[in-house]
Amino acid sequence: MRLVDIKDLTVSFPQTEGLVQAVRGLTLHVAPGESLGIVGESGSGKSVTCMAVLRLLREPPARIAAERLELAGVDMRKADRRQLASMRGSVAAMIFQDPMTAFDPVFTIGHQIAETIRAHRAVSKSEAMAEAEDLLARVRIKAPKAVLQSYPHQLSGGMLQRAMIAMALSSRPQILFADEPTTALDVTIQAQILQLIKEIQAEYGMGLIMVTHDLGVVAETVDRVVVMYGGRVMEEGPVQEIFDAAAHPYTQALLGSIPGRVAGRQRLTEIKGASPNPAHPPSGCPFHPRCPVAEPRCAAEVPALAPFAPARAAACWRVA
Amino acid sequence: MIRYILGRLASIALTFFVVSVIVFLMMHAVPGGPFDGNDMPVSAEVKAKLNANLGLDKPLYVQYLNYMGGVLRLDFGVPFQSPGETVLQLLGRAWPPSLILGGAGVLIGAPLGILLGMAAALNRNSWIDYLASAFATLGLTIPVFVTSMMLILVFAVWLNWLPASGWGKPHSWVLPILAYATIPMATYARYTRSAMLDVLNKPFVTVLRAKGLPERRIIFQHVLRNASLAMVTVFLPMFIGTATGSIFVEAMFRVPGLGAYFVSSIEQRDYPLEMALILIVTLMFCFAYLISDIAYALLNPRIRFGGGEK
Repeated sequence: MRLVDIKDLTVSFPQTEGLVQAVRGLTLHVAPGESLGIVGESGSGKSVTCMAVLRLLREPPARIAAERLELAGVDMRKADRRQLASMRGSVAAMIFQDPMTAFDPVFTIGHQIAETIRAHRAVSKSEAMAEAEDLLARVRIKAPKAVLQSYPHQLSGGMLQRAMIAMALSSRPQILFADEPTTALDVTIQAQILQLIKEIQAEYGMGLIMVTHDLGVVAETVDRVVVMYGGRVMEEGPVQEIFDAAAHPYTQALLGSIPGRVAGRQRLTEIKGASPNPAHPPSGCPFHPRCPVAEPRCAAEVPALAPFAPARAAACWRVA
Repeated sequence: MIRYILGRLASIALTFFVVSVIVFLMMHAVPGGPFDGNDMPVSAEVKAKLNANLGLDKPLYVQYLNYMGGVLRLDFGVPFQSPGETVLQLLGRAWPPSLILGGAGVLIGAPLGILLGMAAALNRNSWIDYLASAFATLGLTIPVFVTSMMLILVFAVWLNWLPASGWGKPHSWVLPILAYATIPMATYARYTRSAMLDVLNKPFVTVLRAKGLPERRIIFQHVLRNASLAMVTVFLPMFIGTATGSIFVEAMFRVPGLGAYFVSSIEQRDYPLEMALILIVTLMFCFAYLISDIAYALLNPRIRFGGGEK
């Protein structure tokens, strides 16, 4: 069984300059307990993909189309409001980029975790509070009682992100969507939070989708990685194999731009050009205008995501 | 909190003093006096005698001290335009119609406006939003005397359901109150809409949805509570602003309220009434702001517990 099963997902937003396609025919899946990283530049459609699975985008203006969009076997395309509310937070939980703005400023952390628990299970307020305290202790918060009674503005970003994770765990979700969970944090805190997410994932045996623009984050936390560009999947495979032998020119370019990966004093290689304008995407492969090895065919036809080795796939005419 | 309130009370006293000095000076800076009007020609000797009787011949600071000394004993003097009664008696007679008009107008208009603003914000960019916004804009842009005329035309002239003017029986209150209610309704609708939209666009609302809270709870517990922070500081003082009624509505419907006295006391140099009106309204606004600031602090933990936004 697949926990997350997306086939041919398209997400678009009508704008004055035309229909902006944030995601253009994306296919991916996550097995129970598996961790998947979605890597890409900003605007590649990775966050929108997560929001679309949980149907968190405002529709309209957003338009979602997919051949398949399933979460734990439920067809999310057809889920109604009540069904969505019962799945969010319990089957699938999500943590966000900026913990400072993710909590309601006028309620305590304890209140906000307890209300999440009570939204999904019939427990009393005091039981929910006691549970919230346990959860805070599980995310390695040293003084859970004090944090429980704190308002968001009284806590640091790292502390709030821990509380956010505790809140996400409150109904033992089968999958956790983590949308750039460390981008807004201090570098020293980032490693702690990633370590925590990894430990918690193993402890709870849940699936994980880690959205990030940082290949370093992916290397530390996930088993498998999907590389996105221009709203499409460029390459997919086990994280170590991708790092060792990237097949797609875009992935290769991305890896070439990480400092410290190549031994010796070598100049980093940047990817020339700019990300495609989602209102007017290039024809054919979205990467071809910036690709060092593009052929005439790349501008004409879109290469499909095709398997070329066990557990690996790439969308490139040169790889097939 | 008590320290804060005491501090605020002290600053209200200071405000009151400053306003009283400025208004007193401005009042007397306007040339002319109460007996210079053409409708009441009096000889120079009589005028001097009248002025001396009222103490208007004394230096300004003496006049000021005399008047304020009376105010501290709740004696606001005798209105020149109605010497048979004290200022307080005049207010006691003319204020109730204005209070009823303003109070009922706000009590009807504010909840309607808040509901309208909420409906608009929750259905943004739909026909409900456009309709509510158009309604609110009309309410703000059409002058209240035009609204009054239309109400009179429809309900008094064509339908003949209600009297066109006067203040005798309660059914004659209906049209002026309706006319007046359009102002707070439109204002509250616009404020509520923008305050709600502001909160609805905050990231924490997405988080609340992502954790599976029912939409009803998100709106009524989280969004409204946060929006009320922006609303409370605007709404309470606005409420006080209505306590003096509306000069235009009172004139259109010939309501024997306070509105006319605001104008006539300035025109006729009725110094005691002018001072009394302005001082009382000043105090009311000061306390309205104090109450709304306390309410804001109680609603907002960032203020209640100190420490700014990070």
